[in-house]
Amino acid sequence: MSALEGYEEIRLIDPFEIHVGPAFARGRKGARRYALMVREEHCNMRGVVHGGMLMTLADLVLGQALWDATDNAACVTMNMQVQFLRSAKAGDLIEVEPEIARRTRSLVFMRGAFTSGGEAIMTVQSAWKLLKSE
Amino acid sequence: MESLPRCLPEGAQNISTGGFNRFAGPFYRLPDDGEVRRFAFVVLDKHMNSAGSVHGGVLMTFADIAMSRTSRLATGADRCSTVSFSCDFMAPGHLGELLEIRVRIARRTRTFVFLSAEIASGERALMQASGLWRIA
Repeated sequence: MSALEGYEEIRLIDPFEIHVGPAFARGRKGARRYALMVREEHCNMRGVVHGGMLMTLADLVLGQALWDATDNAACVTMNMQVQFLRSAKAGDLIEVEPEIARRTRSLVFMRGAFTSGGEAIMTVQSAWKLLKSE
Repeated sequence: MESLPRCLPEGAQNISTGGFNRFAGPFYRLPDDGEVRRFAFVVLDKHMNSAGSVHGGVLMTFADIAMSRTSRLATGADRCSTVSFSCDFMAPGHLGELLEIRVRIARRTRTFVFLSAEIASGERALMQASGLWRIA
């Protein structure tokens, strides 16, 4: 079931992602677009989406994009740099098409330009470590 | 009086009273250590990832909440917003651990606060973070 036109719900497995979800994806492998509809629980007392929620979303979608690009390689977030450009509120749809800036044997450098209603709300850069497969 | 987890030090105060802070928490403020503001939380099932570690989003949320709160405490402002945030994940956190963040102010201007922080489990450092907050 999908509440969002053209999107399908992602099957989340991390307990904290299930807690903050649902999240959605569309498009072909390696070039997917991800989305989340802001809920009341994602917002602070002033009614705007919490920075921590936006960074959680960034971690979630960059991880999904990395899995998508590596056939589910085990990986961990090494760092994240975030700029908050504009706020969003409950009912807003946040979307992003994460990009892989560079991939080495053990590291993947990723970035994401998050938008809502066509306006930039957050930019993220993040390095991920690929763990050795068993 | 609500009952706090027993592993919290004396003087801990629940700061997760509403919104996403409450949805993601509970997070607690601890007594200051001189200029250093301290906060803590106990890792619950909902905070985990599927690899058995604390989710990165939880650590970033905890840091954002602690650093925002510190910006407001230091300036007396009742509102502030995160402009930028940067962090490195140094080690994983585990279920049931008491994680503490220590927040320091690097510089303050009339409208901005520059902060740094570290999250640790006992002596084990889990995350280093820095960021810029705008006060209103």
